[in-house]
Amino acid sequence: MASYANPEVLVETQWVQDHIGSPGLKIVESDEDILLYEQGHIPGAVKTDWQTELQDPVRRDYRDRAAFEDLASSKGIANDDTLVFYGDKNNWWATYAFWTFKLFGHERCMIMNGGRQKWVAEKRPLTRDVAPAARTNYHVRDRDDFKIRAFRDQVLRHVYESRPLVDVRSPGEFSGELLHMPAYPQEGALRAGHIPGAVSIPWSQACREDGTFKSADELTTLYRSKGITPDRDVIAYCRIGERSSHTWFVLTYLLGYPLVRNYDGSWTEWGNLVGVPVENPTAEKKARGAAK
Amino acid sequence: VTVEFADREEIIAYLLEHFERPKNRGPLEGAGVVHESGGNPGCGDVVTIHLDPAGEAVAAATFEGQGCTISMAAADILIDLVRGRPLDDVLAMTAESLVEELGREVVIARLKCATLALNALKAAVERRARNERRRALGLPLEEAPAAPPDMTGVEGGPDPFGKR
Repeated sequence: MASYANPEVLVETQWVQDHIGSPGLKIVESDEDILLYEQGHIPGAVKTDWQTELQDPVRRDYRDRAAFEDLASSKGIANDDTLVFYGDKNNWWATYAFWTFKLFGHERCMIMNGGRQKWVAEKRPLTRDVAPAARTNYHVRDRDDFKIRAFRDQVLRHVYESRPLVDVRSPGEFSGELLHMPAYPQEGALRAGHIPGAVSIPWSQACREDGTFKSADELTTLYRSKGITPDRDVIAYCRIGERSSHTWFVLTYLLGYPLVRNYDGSWTEWGNLVGVPVENPTAEKKARGAAK
Repeated sequence: VTVEFADREEIIAYLLEHFERPKNRGPLEGAGVVHESGGNPGCGDVVTIHLDPAGEAVAAATFEGQGCTISMAAADILIDLVRGRPLDDVLAMTAESLVEELGREVVIARLKCATLALNALKAAVERRARNERRRALGLPLEEAPAAPPDMTGVEGGPDPFGKR
C-alpha cells in the first residue's frame, strides 16, 4: 500500500491531543459555521474566520501583507510556529485557511485528519475558554499569487490548451442543473454549467464518512481515472475557491502533484464573465429535446 | 423584545442560547397555515417557516430546518420578534433592522444566513396576500414553491455525508 507523498502534513486527533500546549505549535480552527468555535474548541486553539479575516473587506481578494501580518500577530502566531488547522465539514475550511497561509509563505502547516467532526465524535476535550494570545511580531514576504493560485486569464489559457481542470462541485452544479435557489439569485452566477474540458470530481470523494482522507491508493485511483495525473499542470475550482482548496491540498500534499493551482475566482467569477466558453449539459439536453 | 448588547461576547451568548434551546422550532399545522422554504446553497442552510396569519397578523409561527448557528438562531429570534405583529410589519422589517436585533457585530459577516428566515417569512406573507386576491377573483391559488434542493448526502455539496 502506498503512503501519502507528504505524510508529515497530516496529523491524527490523538497526536493533536498529545501536543496541546507544546511550544511552537498553534492549533487553528477554521469553520464554515462561525460560531462553532464558541460552542467549544480544542483547548488552546485560536479561531480564524475565512470571510472577515482572510479576505479583503473591499476588493474580492485576500488580505495584503500588512493586514495578514497583523492578523497572525494578533493570534499569537510566530513565523516558525507549526500550525495545525482543523474545522467543520471535513476540513473544507481548514484547508482553505491552510491554502491562504501558504499564499503568504508560512512554512509549517498541517491538517488534523478528520477535522472537528472526528474530534467531537471521539469525545475529546472541548473548551469555551479563550486564553488571550500573546502578540507576536509576524513577518512575511509579499503574497505569492503565482505558485498555488490561478486567475481567470490563466484558466482561459488552460481551456484553449486543453490542460486539466478539476471541477470539485456537486454533480448538479457541474451539469448546469443547479445554479442557485429561488429567491436567492445573489448566491449564484448568471450562467450555469462548467468550464469546458473540466472533469467532475466532487471534493468530498477524497474523504471517508468519518471526515478523514481516503488512502493514497484510493486517491490515486480516483484522480488518475479521470486523467488527473502528476505530470500535468492542474487547476481546481468550485464556487468561490473553498471546496477546491480541499482538492488542492489532496493533490499537492497527499499525492505529491507538483503543479496544482486553486482558481479562487471559481464559478462565481466564470459564470458571470462575458464571452468566456461554458459547457452546460443540462441546457444542451433541453435544446436537443426541443429540436426533436 | 429588542435586546441591547454590551459587547460581542453577549451577542454570541444570545445567539448560542437561541441555537441550543430554540423555543420556536417545530411543525405547525392547521387551516390557513402557510409554509415557505428558503436556502443558501453556499453553506447548506435550509429553513422552512410555518405561519398562521389569522387576523392579518402573525398569530403563530414556527420554523424547521438545518444549518449554521446564525441561520438557526436568527429563525428562532425572528419568530419571537414578529409574534402577534401585523403582517404589514413583517413586510416592513428590513435586513438592517433584523441585523441590529441579532447583534450586528457578529452576524454582519453572515448576512445571508442571518436573513434567511426573514426572507422566507416575507415570501410566505406575500404569497398569502396574492392568494387572497386570487381567491377573491376566483382564480386558482398559487402553490408554495418547491423547497430548495436538499444537499445533504450530495457528493461535492456542503454536507456530503449528512454530518454537520
